[in-house]
Amino acid sequence: MIACKTGMYIAVAAALTLSFALAQAPRPLLNEPAHSAPKPAAVAYLYPEQITVPAGKPTTIALHFRIAPGLHINSHMPREIELIPTVFSIPDGSGARLDAAVYPPGADITLPLDPQTKLSVYTGDFIIQARIVASAGEHLVEARLHYQACDNNACMPPKTITAAIDVIGK
Amino acid sequence: MKRNTLVITAVLFILAAFAWAGWANWEYRKQAAERLLATSAQAELVPATGSSDSPLQFLPALLGKPAPAFTLEDLSGKKVSLASYKGKALVINFWATWCAPCKLETPWLVELRNQYAAQGFEVLGVSADDIDRGDPQKLNDEKRAIARFVQEMHMPYPVLIDADSISRPYGGLDDLPTSFFVDRDGTVIAAQVGLTSKDDTERNIKKALGIVK
Repeated sequence: MIACKTGMYIAVAAALTLSFALAQAPRPLLNEPAHSAPKPAAVAYLYPEQITVPAGKPTTIALHFRIAPGLHINSHMPREIELIPTVFSIPDGSGARLDAAVYPPGADITLPLDPQTKLSVYTGDFIIQARIVASAGEHLVEARLHYQACDNNACMPPKTITAAIDVIGK
Repeated sequence: MKRNTLVITAVLFILAAFAWAGWANWEYRKQAAERLLATSAQAELVPATGSSDSPLQFLPALLGKPAPAFTLEDLSGKKVSLASYKGKALVINFWATWCAPCKLETPWLVELRNQYAAQGFEVLGVSADDIDRGDPQKLNDEKRAIARFVQEMHMPYPVLIDADSISRPYGGLDDLPTSFFVDRDGTVIAAQVGLTSKDDTERNIKKALGIVK
Protein backbone atom coordinates (compact mmCIF):
# COMPACT_ATOMS: atom_id res chain seq x y z
CA MET A 1 0.00 0.00 0.00
CA ILE A 2 2.83 2.37 0.94
CA ALA A 3 4.77 1.38 -2.20
CA CYS A 4 1.66 1.98 -4.28
CA LYS A 5 1.19 5.49 -2.79
CA THR A 6 4.89 6.33 -3.25
CA GLY A 7 4.69 5.18 -6.85
CA MET A 8 1.70 7.41 -7.45
CA TYR A 9 3.48 10.44 -5.96
CA ILE A 10 6.52 9.73 -8.09
CA ALA A 11 4.38 9.38 -11.22
CA VAL A 12 2.65 12.73 -10.52
CA ALA A 13 6.01 14.43 -9.86
CA ALA A 14 7.44 12.95 -13.06
CA ALA A 15 4.43 14.11 -15.09
CA LEU A 16 4.69 17.63 -13.67
CA THR A 17 8.42 17.73 -14.36
CA LEU A 18 7.92 16.57 -17.95
CA SER A 19 5.21 19.20 -18.51
CA PHE A 20 7.53 21.89 -17.15
CA ALA A 21 10.42 20.71 -19.32
CA LEU A 22 8.22 20.63 -22.42
CA ALA A 23 7.00 24.15 -21.69
CA GLN A 24 10.60 25.39 -21.34
CA ALA A 25 11.87 23.75 -24.51
CA PRO A 26 11.10 25.89 -27.55
CA ARG A 27 9.73 24.46 -30.75
CA PRO A 28 12.22 23.88 -33.54
CA LEU A 29 12.89 26.93 -35.77
CA LEU A 30 12.09 24.94 -38.87
CA ASN A 31 8.43 25.12 -37.96
CA GLU A 32 8.46 28.91 -37.78
CA PRO A 33 7.11 30.87 -40.71
CA ALA A 34 9.79 32.10 -43.11
CA HIS A 35 8.64 35.71 -42.87
CA SER A 36 8.96 35.94 -39.09
CA ALA A 37 12.32 37.76 -39.27
CA PRO A 38 11.81 41.50 -39.83
CA LYS A 39 13.58 43.12 -42.78
CA PRO A 40 16.70 44.95 -41.64
CA ALA A 41 16.85 48.68 -42.37
CA ALA A 42 19.35 49.88 -44.96
CA VAL A 43 20.75 52.48 -42.54
CA ALA A 44 21.07 52.29 -38.76
CA TYR A 45 21.92 55.04 -36.30
CA LEU A 46 24.80 53.93 -34.10
CA TYR A 47 25.67 56.58 -31.49
CA PRO A 48 25.83 58.75 -29.36
CA GLU A 49 22.71 57.89 -27.41
CA GLN A 50 23.27 60.64 -24.85
CA ILE A 51 25.15 63.94 -24.95
CA THR A 52 25.60 66.82 -22.54
CA VAL A 53 26.01 70.26 -24.10
CA PRO A 54 26.17 73.81 -22.76
CA ALA A 55 22.63 75.19 -22.84
CA GLY A 56 22.07 77.85 -25.49
CA LYS A 57 25.50 77.47 -27.08
CA PRO A 58 26.10 75.92 -30.50
CA THR A 59 27.85 72.58 -30.02
CA THR A 60 29.03 70.18 -32.69
CA ILE A 61 28.35 66.51 -32.21
CA ALA A 62 29.45 63.61 -34.40
CA LEU A 63 26.57 61.32 -35.30
CA HIS A 64 27.54 57.86 -36.48
CA PHE A 65 25.48 55.86 -38.96
CA ARG A 66 25.99 52.47 -40.63
CA ILE A 67 24.78 51.35 -44.05
CA ALA A 68 24.01 47.65 -44.53
CA PRO A 69 26.65 45.69 -46.50
CA GLY A 70 26.09 45.66 -50.26
CA LEU A 71 24.05 48.86 -50.23
CA HIS A 72 24.85 52.50 -50.85
CA ILE A 73 22.85 55.68 -50.28
CA ASN A 74 23.13 58.95 -52.16
CA SER A 75 25.45 61.46 -50.54
CA HIS A 76 24.16 64.84 -49.40
CA MET A 77 25.12 66.18 -52.81
CA PRO A 78 24.25 63.60 -55.48
CA ARG A 79 25.45 64.31 -58.98
CA GLU A 80 22.02 64.32 -60.59
CA ILE A 81 19.02 66.43 -59.65
CA GLU A 82 16.61 63.47 -59.68
CA LEU A 83 18.60 61.55 -57.09
CA ILE A 84 17.45 61.96 -53.51
CA PRO A 85 20.08 63.45 -51.17
CA THR A 86 20.78 62.24 -47.65
CA VAL A 87 19.45 64.88 -45.26
CA PHE A 88 19.67 65.10 -41.48
CA SER A 89 17.10 67.12 -39.56
CA ILE A 90 15.75 67.77 -36.08
CA PRO A 91 12.01 68.39 -35.77
CA ASP A 92 10.83 71.67 -34.30
CA GLY A 93 9.95 71.60 -30.64
CA SER A 94 12.54 68.98 -29.75
CA GLY A 95 14.31 71.11 -27.14
CA ALA A 96 17.32 71.28 -29.42
CA ARG A 97 17.58 72.75 -32.88
CA LEU A 98 19.90 72.00 -35.74
CA ASP A 99 22.09 75.02 -36.45
CA ALA A 100 24.07 73.40 -39.25
CA ALA A 101 25.08 69.97 -40.51
CA VAL A 102 28.35 69.04 -42.17
CA TYR A 103 28.09 65.94 -44.31
CA PRO A 104 30.99 63.77 -45.42
CA PRO A 105 31.92 63.99 -49.09
CA GLY A 106 30.41 61.23 -51.18
CA ALA A 107 32.52 58.51 -52.74
CA ASP A 108 32.26 58.20 -56.51
CA ILE A 109 31.07 54.82 -57.73
CA THR A 110 29.77 53.49 -61.02
CA LEU A 111 27.25 50.74 -61.59
CA PRO A 112 28.73 47.63 -63.27
CA LEU A 113 26.33 47.99 -66.21
CA ASP A 114 27.04 51.71 -66.62
CA PRO A 115 30.72 52.43 -66.03
CA GLN A 116 30.38 55.90 -67.58
CA THR A 117 28.02 57.40 -65.01
CA LYS A 118 29.45 58.37 -61.64
CA LEU A 119 27.28 58.37 -58.55
CA SER A 120 28.17 60.19 -55.33
CA VAL A 121 27.30 57.85 -52.47
CA TYR A 122 27.95 56.76 -48.90
CA THR A 123 28.73 53.17 -48.03
CA GLY A 124 29.60 51.44 -44.76
CA ASP A 125 29.89 53.79 -41.77
CA PHE A 126 29.60 57.54 -42.09
CA ILE A 127 29.52 60.51 -39.72
CA ILE A 128 27.45 63.68 -39.85
CA GLN A 129 28.77 66.61 -37.82
CA ALA A 130 25.68 68.30 -36.47
CA ARG A 131 25.90 71.69 -34.77
CA ILE A 132 23.01 71.90 -32.36
CA VAL A 133 21.72 74.43 -29.87
CA ALA A 134 19.90 72.92 -26.90
CA SER A 135 17.85 74.66 -24.27
CA ALA A 136 18.43 73.88 -20.60
CA GLY A 137 17.07 70.56 -19.41
CA GLU A 138 16.93 67.01 -20.68
CA HIS A 139 15.37 66.39 -24.08
CA LEU A 140 14.74 63.16 -25.95
CA VAL A 141 15.49 64.37 -29.46
CA GLU A 142 14.16 62.21 -32.29
CA ALA A 143 16.41 63.41 -35.08
CA ARG A 144 15.73 62.20 -38.61
CA LEU A 145 17.81 60.94 -41.46
CA HIS A 146 16.17 60.88 -44.87
CA TYR A 147 17.91 58.73 -47.47
CA GLN A 148 17.41 56.55 -50.50
CA ALA A 149 19.30 53.27 -50.76
CA CYS A 150 20.26 51.07 -53.68
CA ASP A 151 22.51 48.18 -54.54
CA ASN A 152 24.09 47.67 -57.95
CA ASN A 153 20.86 46.43 -59.53
CA ALA A 154 17.91 47.90 -57.70
CA CYS A 155 16.76 50.76 -55.51
CA MET A 156 14.49 50.94 -52.51
CA PRO A 157 12.00 53.74 -51.95
CA PRO A 158 13.23 56.77 -49.95
CA LYS A 159 13.03 56.31 -46.22
CA THR A 160 13.35 58.34 -43.02
CA ILE A 161 14.83 56.77 -39.91
CA THR A 162 14.89 58.17 -36.40
CA ALA A 163 18.09 58.80 -34.44
CA ALA A 164 17.05 59.02 -30.81
CA ILE A 165 19.46 61.15 -28.77
CA ASP A 166 19.10 62.11 -25.15
CA VAL A 167 20.34 65.74 -25.14
CA ILE A 168 21.10 67.31 -21.78
CA GLY A 169 21.50 71.07 -21.85
CA LYS A 170 23.38 72.41 -18.80
CA MET B 1 13.94 -2.35 -2.63
CA LYS B 2 11.19 -1.88 -5.17
CA ARG B 3 10.49 1.58 -3.75
CA ASN B 4 14.15 2.58 -4.01
CA THR B 5 14.25 1.50 -7.63
CA LEU B 6 11.17 3.56 -8.35
CA VAL B 7 12.63 6.63 -6.65
CA ILE B 8 15.96 6.32 -8.46
CA THR B 9 14.18 5.86 -11.80
CA ALA B 10 12.02 8.91 -11.17
CA VAL B 11 15.00 11.06 -10.16
CA LEU B 12 16.92 9.98 -13.24
CA PHE B 13 13.89 10.75 -15.40
CA ILE B 14 13.51 14.19 -13.87
CA LEU B 15 17.21 14.96 -14.37
CA ALA B 16 17.03 13.73 -17.96
CA ALA B 17 13.97 15.91 -18.63
CA PHE B 18 15.76 19.00 -17.30
CA ALA B 19 18.90 18.19 -19.25
CA TRP B 20 16.89 17.80 -22.44
CA ALA B 21 15.01 21.08 -21.86
CA GLY B 22 18.30 22.86 -21.22
CA TRP B 23 19.90 21.44 -24.35
CA ALA B 24 16.86 22.30 -26.50
CA ASN B 25 16.85 25.85 -25.16
CA TRP B 26 20.57 26.27 -25.83
CA GLU B 27 20.17 24.91 -29.35
CA TYR B 28 17.29 27.29 -30.00
CA ARG B 29 19.26 30.31 -28.79
CA LYS B 30 22.22 29.27 -30.93
CA GLN B 31 20.05 29.01 -34.04
CA ALA B 32 18.35 32.33 -33.25
CA ALA B 33 21.74 34.05 -32.87
CA GLU B 34 22.96 32.58 -36.16
CA ARG B 35 19.81 33.69 -37.89
CA LEU B 36 20.11 37.21 -36.47
CA LEU B 37 23.72 37.39 -37.66
CA ALA B 38 22.74 36.20 -41.12
CA THR B 39 19.88 38.71 -41.26
CA SER B 40 22.06 41.62 -40.24
CA ALA B 41 24.61 40.73 -42.90
CA GLN B 42 22.02 40.65 -45.65
CA ALA B 43 21.12 43.53 -47.92
CA GLU B 44 17.49 44.46 -47.97
CA LEU B 45 17.09 44.06 -51.70
CA VAL B 46 15.88 40.92 -53.41
CA PRO B 47 18.38 39.60 -55.95
CA ALA B 48 17.38 40.08 -59.53
CA THR B 49 15.81 37.06 -61.18
CA GLY B 50 18.06 36.59 -64.11
CA SER B 51 16.26 34.28 -66.47
CA SER B 52 12.70 33.59 -67.36
CA ASP B 53 13.06 30.14 -65.85
CA SER B 54 13.98 31.50 -62.45
CA PRO B 55 11.39 30.78 -59.79
CA LEU B 56 9.52 33.86 -58.64
CA GLN B 57 10.51 33.42 -55.07
CA PHE B 58 9.59 36.98 -54.25
CA LEU B 59 6.06 36.73 -55.60
CA PRO B 60 5.10 33.11 -56.20
CA ALA B 61 1.44 34.01 -55.84
CA LEU B 62 1.38 36.10 -59.03
CA LEU B 63 3.04 33.70 -61.44
CA GLY B 64 0.46 31.98 -63.62
CA LYS B 65 -2.32 34.19 -62.23
CA PRO B 66 -4.16 37.08 -63.89
CA ALA B 67 -2.29 40.36 -63.50
CA PRO B 68 -4.03 42.35 -60.73
CA ALA B 69 -6.44 44.83 -62.29
CA PHE B 70 -5.82 48.55 -61.94
CA THR B 71 -6.85 51.93 -63.24
CA LEU B 72 -4.31 54.74 -62.90
CA GLU B 73 -3.89 58.23 -64.28
CA ASP B 74 -1.35 59.15 -66.89
CA LEU B 75 0.52 62.45 -66.73
CA SER B 76 -2.34 64.31 -68.42
CA GLY B 77 -4.83 63.02 -65.86
CA LYS B 78 -6.45 60.52 -68.23
CA LYS B 79 -7.48 57.24 -66.59
CA VAL B 80 -5.87 54.15 -68.04
CA SER B 81 -6.95 50.65 -67.06
CA LEU B 82 -5.07 47.41 -67.46
CA ALA B 83 -8.25 45.82 -68.83
CA SER B 84 -8.08 48.05 -71.90
CA TYR B 85 -4.91 46.21 -73.00
CA LYS B 86 -6.54 42.79 -73.13
CA GLY B 87 -5.25 40.82 -76.10
CA LYS B 88 -1.82 42.48 -75.99
CA ALA B 89 1.35 41.12 -74.47
CA LEU B 90 2.54 43.56 -71.84
CA VAL B 91 5.39 44.57 -69.62
CA ILE B 92 4.15 46.40 -66.54
CA ASN B 93 7.32 48.22 -65.58
CA PHE B 94 7.55 49.93 -62.19
CA TRP B 95 10.24 52.61 -62.04
CA ALA B 96 11.10 55.95 -60.44
CA THR B 97 12.97 59.09 -61.45
CA TRP B 98 15.36 58.61 -58.46
CA CYS B 99 16.24 55.05 -59.45
CA ALA B 100 19.60 54.89 -61.24
CA PRO B 101 19.18 51.27 -62.45
CA CYS B 102 15.80 52.29 -63.94
CA LYS B 103 17.65 54.83 -66.09
CA LEU B 104 19.69 51.99 -67.51
CA GLU B 105 16.76 49.69 -68.09
CA THR B 106 14.38 52.18 -69.69
CA PRO B 107 16.26 52.53 -73.00
CA TRP B 108 16.17 48.73 -73.38
CA LEU B 109 12.40 48.76 -72.87
CA VAL B 110 12.01 51.60 -75.37
CA GLU B 111 13.99 49.66 -78.00
CA LEU B 112 12.18 46.39 -77.34
CA ARG B 113 8.80 48.09 -77.33
CA ASN B 114 9.50 49.63 -80.74
CA GLN B 115 10.81 46.29 -82.02
CA TYR B 116 7.82 44.19 -80.96
CA ALA B 117 4.93 46.71 -81.00
CA ALA B 118 3.74 45.50 -84.39
CA GLN B 119 3.31 42.01 -82.96
CA GLY B 120 0.92 43.23 -80.29
CA PHE B 121 3.33 44.21 -77.52
CA GLU B 122 3.10 47.22 -75.25
CA VAL B 123 4.87 48.55 -72.18
CA LEU B 124 2.99 50.21 -69.34
CA GLY B 125 5.42 52.31 -67.34
CA VAL B 126 4.21 52.96 -63.80
CA SER B 127 6.08 55.64 -61.86
CA ALA B 128 6.68 54.97 -58.17
CA ASP B 129 7.57 58.61 -57.48
CA ASP B 130 5.71 60.16 -54.54
CA ILE B 131 2.42 61.78 -55.44
CA ASP B 132 1.06 64.47 -53.12
CA ARG B 133 -2.57 64.79 -54.14
CA GLY B 134 -3.29 67.11 -51.21
CA ASP B 135 -0.80 69.73 -52.40
CA PRO B 136 -1.49 70.93 -55.97
CA GLN B 137 1.83 72.79 -56.23
CA LYS B 138 3.82 69.76 -55.10
CA LEU B 139 1.80 67.45 -57.32
CA ASN B 140 2.55 69.69 -60.26
CA ASP B 141 6.29 69.64 -59.49
CA GLU B 142 6.25 65.86 -59.11
CA LYS B 143 4.42 65.38 -62.40
CA ARG B 144 6.88 67.73 -64.08
CA ALA B 145 9.84 65.70 -62.80
CA ILE B 146 8.28 62.51 -64.15
CA ALA B 147 7.51 64.20 -67.46
CA ARG B 148 11.14 65.36 -67.71
CA PHE B 149 12.34 61.78 -67.27
CA VAL B 150 9.83 60.54 -69.88
CA GLN B 151 11.02 63.14 -72.32
CA GLU B 152 14.72 62.50 -71.71
CA MET B 153 14.23 58.77 -72.17
CA HIS B 154 11.97 59.19 -75.24
CA MET B 155 9.45 56.80 -73.73
CA PRO B 156 6.86 56.11 -76.44
CA TYR B 157 4.55 54.07 -74.24
CA PRO B 158 1.91 55.04 -71.65
CA VAL B 159 3.37 56.28 -68.40
CA LEU B 160 1.10 56.09 -65.39
CA ILE B 161 1.58 57.59 -61.95
CA ASP B 162 0.97 56.55 -58.35
CA ALA B 163 2.40 53.03 -58.29
CA ASP B 164 2.04 53.17 -54.53
CA SER B 165 -1.73 52.79 -54.82
CA ILE B 166 -1.35 49.37 -56.48
CA SER B 167 1.83 48.21 -54.79
CA ARG B 168 0.11 45.72 -52.48
CA PRO B 169 -1.35 43.40 -55.15
CA TYR B 170 1.97 43.62 -56.99
CA GLY B 171 3.96 42.38 -54.02
CA GLY B 172 4.88 45.62 -52.25
CA LEU B 173 7.28 46.99 -54.88
CA ASP B 174 10.09 47.28 -52.35
CA ASP B 175 12.71 47.29 -55.09
CA LEU B 176 12.88 49.11 -58.39
CA PRO B 177 12.87 48.49 -61.25
CA THR B 178 10.33 45.68 -61.11
CA SER B 179 8.68 44.32 -64.25
CA PHE B 180 5.82 41.90 -64.74
CA PHE B 181 5.44 40.15 -68.09
CA VAL B 182 1.83 39.51 -69.01
CA ASP B 183 0.66 37.35 -71.92
CA ARG B 184 -2.26 38.09 -74.26
CA ASP B 185 -4.67 36.39 -71.87
CA GLY B 186 -3.67 38.72 -69.05
CA THR B 187 -1.67 36.09 -67.16
CA VAL B 188 1.61 36.95 -65.42
CA ILE B 189 4.17 34.64 -67.00
CA ALA B 190 7.42 36.12 -65.63
CA ALA B 191 8.81 38.91 -63.50
CA GLN B 192 12.10 40.68 -63.00
CA VAL B 193 13.17 42.50 -59.86
CA GLY B 194 16.13 44.79 -60.29
CA LEU B 195 18.25 45.29 -63.34
CA THR B 196 18.90 42.07 -65.24
CA SER B 197 19.88 42.33 -68.92
CA LYS B 198 18.32 43.33 -72.20
CA ASP B 199 18.51 39.71 -73.34
CA ASP B 200 16.57 38.45 -70.34
CA THR B 201 13.96 41.15 -70.86
CA GLU B 202 13.63 40.28 -74.54
CA ARG B 203 13.32 36.57 -73.74
CA ASN B 204 10.45 37.29 -71.35
CA ILE B 205 8.77 39.58 -73.91
CA LYS B 206 8.94 36.77 -76.49
CA LYS B 207 7.46 34.43 -73.92
CA ALA B 208 4.61 36.89 -73.27
CA LEU B 209 4.01 37.15 -77.02
CA GLY B 210 4.00 33.36 -77.35
CA ILE B 211 7.00 33.40 -79.71
CA VAL B 212 8.99 31.15 -77.39
CA LYS B 213 7.93 28.97 -74.48
